[in-house]
Amino acid sequence: MAGRQFSIRYKILVLMTAITSVALVSFVFMASKIFREDKMAYVFDSTSNLSGTLAWQIKNQLNSILISSKPLFDDYLQQREFSSVSQIFFKNDQFLDAVFVYESDKEISQLEKKSVIEKTSGVADEAELDVFSQLNLNRNLLTKTDKVIAQLSKDSRLILIQKAENKESQKLLFFVMLLRLSEIEEMFKNSLAQKLYLIDGQGRILFGAEGDQGQKLTNQIQLRFLSSPQKLAQSVEVAEDSKKQQVLVSYSRVGFSDLYVVSTVLQKNALSALDVLLRKSFIFFILLISLTVMVSLLASSQLTKSLTTLFEATKKVALGQFNFQVNIKSNDEIGTLADNFNLMASEVSRLLGQTAEKARMENELKTAQTVQETLFPQTYSQLGPLEVAGFYEPASECGGDWWHYCQVGTKIFFWIGDATGHGAPSALLTSAAKSASSIIERLNVTPGQAMELLNRCIYDVSRGRLMMTFFIGAYDVNTKELSYSNASHEAPFLIKKSEEVLKKKSLIPLNEVNNPRLGQARDTKYAESKIQIDAGDLVFFYTDGIPDIRNGGDEAWGEREFIKSIVNSNKDYPSAQDSVKRFSTSFQDYRQGSTLVDDVTFFVVKSLE
Amino acid sequence: MSKLEVKMNKTGDQLNVQMTGIIDEDVDFTQFNLVGNQKIQLNLNGIRSINSCGIREWIKWIGSAAGAAIVYDQCPKVIVDQINMVDGFLPSNAKVNSFFVPYYNDESGSEKNVLFRYGTEFKEGSVQPPPDVKDDQGQVMEMDVIESKYFKFIKK
Repeated sequence: MAGRQFSIRYKILVLMTAITSVALVSFVFMASKIFREDKMAYVFDSTSNLSGTLAWQIKNQLNSILISSKPLFDDYLQQREFSSVSQIFFKNDQFLDAVFVYESDKEISQLEKKSVIEKTSGVADEAELDVFSQLNLNRNLLTKTDKVIAQLSKDSRLILIQKAENKESQKLLFFVMLLRLSEIEEMFKNSLAQKLYLIDGQGRILFGAEGDQGQKLTNQIQLRFLSSPQKLAQSVEVAEDSKKQQVLVSYSRVGFSDLYVVSTVLQKNALSALDVLLRKSFIFFILLISLTVMVSLLASSQLTKSLTTLFEATKKVALGQFNFQVNIKSNDEIGTLADNFNLMASEVSRLLGQTAEKARMENELKTAQTVQETLFPQTYSQLGPLEVAGFYEPASECGGDWWHYCQVGTKIFFWIGDATGHGAPSALLTSAAKSASSIIERLNVTPGQAMELLNRCIYDVSRGRLMMTFFIGAYDVNTKELSYSNASHEAPFLIKKSEEVLKKKSLIPLNEVNNPRLGQARDTKYAESKIQIDAGDLVFFYTDGIPDIRNGGDEAWGEREFIKSIVNSNKDYPSAQDSVKRFSTSFQDYRQGSTLVDDVTFFVVKSLE
Repeated sequence: MSKLEVKMNKTGDQLNVQMTGIIDEDVDFTQFNLVGNQKIQLNLNGIRSINSCGIREWIKWIGSAAGAAIVYDQCPKVIVDQINMVDGFLPSNAKVNSFFVPYYNDESGSEKNVLFRYGTEFKEGSVQPPPDVKDDQGQVMEMDVIESKYFKFIKK
């Protein structure tokens, strides 16, 4: 488990927390962006409306003052002084504190005070210097326009200068009105949600918050629209103040002289609700993350509990313990996994048992094979006048073929048999045959009698379930006759030594007698026959597994090749050992190491005398 | 699926049995009842192989028809080999009516199975093979068996 400390539980926790966090942050980001844009649009809209309304109101107010003052001006132009009618009219005007009249040439190089009218005695004197100063300051402007608005430097009253022409003297007259617009001024002073300013084209504040009058608004806020060649009647912009703070600016041109109504709101104040939203979102974020962590821990605990059980189970399996079951009751994939794990564990347990059992059986078969090998004689021997050589290879660990030879007195016995099938049961039967033969060969019996005794033994051992084909030959060294009895076994071939070329037809099958197989019936009598064996003759004994030998293509060697090989191996009547060697080489070449389908046994007997 | 197919058809008092496939330890002859038939004719042309366990089962099965006259027809080589080798494979109440003898030509490699019929190519104690057996190219073929061994059952 080294390097796997980051469990699924924590992975689920991290994943769910991350998903929730990303989703929430994304939502807050988008929401704040939309809110910010919407709020700014709202602020701009409302301040624009307000500045527009104020601009319209001021314009109307000033125009109204001009209109109402026109009779006054006309009276002066006719009388060259303010008549008593003008005095009465002036007294009833609520906005005018005083009216000064100045005259100048057309270049406005020399201003001369001609008259003054005032509501209260001394008002004009107090303001006269200031009025004259403002008139002088606006001389250039007055050459281009008929009316100019200015402000007294020592109080908030406005100066409205109306230019007129004295046609008789060909001189210019300037009616300088000292205005008191208290209501409008109060509106600018007392604005709470935003700061309102009435400024002229140079950015000078005519009306505004307390203490701002007379100062330049452009020193506080960088107003781009004043320097822009494009003079819009109404617009908005985001400007920066002297403290580098963002300011939302709305402005409306008054339409009277170069006056503007400007509304400013600090952006941070306008968006203060966004801060509230963000603070509340953060609290909500913390709550939601906490809830997510708790739910994740709860859910992952349920999930990983089953997985932990399975994990512990796999550790047991890794230690070789299979005989147990995990108890997980779940209808999901984990439940299916647990069921499959239980199935796997029981199946592995069963297979291990089978493997152990198979290993035990294989060991027993190896032991049986070792024991069975002792049943066979040496592959070469010389018994009196006869030379014997043989070959045996079982198809599995233990075979059902058996061969044997022995000399008892003047008789040399040859035994060869093939039990039904092959493998362990057949091998046990050959063991019984070997045991019986050890006794029978000492009883001075003929091959038929030996076969009869052997049959009883095989029958009693197998109870008819297994049988053996068998051939017993007994060579008499005195008469050179081979007596034999056959219990349905492949008839051996006698190869008589001759000067003629050995052919297939020269092979003499020893099949003069045939009898039932051993084990078929208990009291069977076995007939026998005999044949003369001369010097140089060979006898080829074999079992039926030889023609069944297969090559790599699973093709049987066949009887034709089998017979051919016998003929070719014995053409020059070789020694028994050479005959066996040639014949085995022949079928081994064909076989090319393929597995045997049946046991292979053969031996060759050669008469040397 | 059984490796041996057996078709049984009774015509009059004769039971005709046609067998195809392999006779080994897996065969179950108990499902093919021969008891109670007077004549049984076995067509064995389709038998491809028989092993020692199959021989044991065959002898038991054919022995169950001890009272019947049994005829083996069209015996292939694998059957003739067992008749010659295994005592009881052809019981005393049975006779061979026809059997195949393999021929071959060593040069061309051609092979042919020639049917020997009772009364024509063989009778009790003697065999009269056809004088010349030729392959498709007209080449003379020789018998692919050891005659003294293969025809032993006729000469008994």
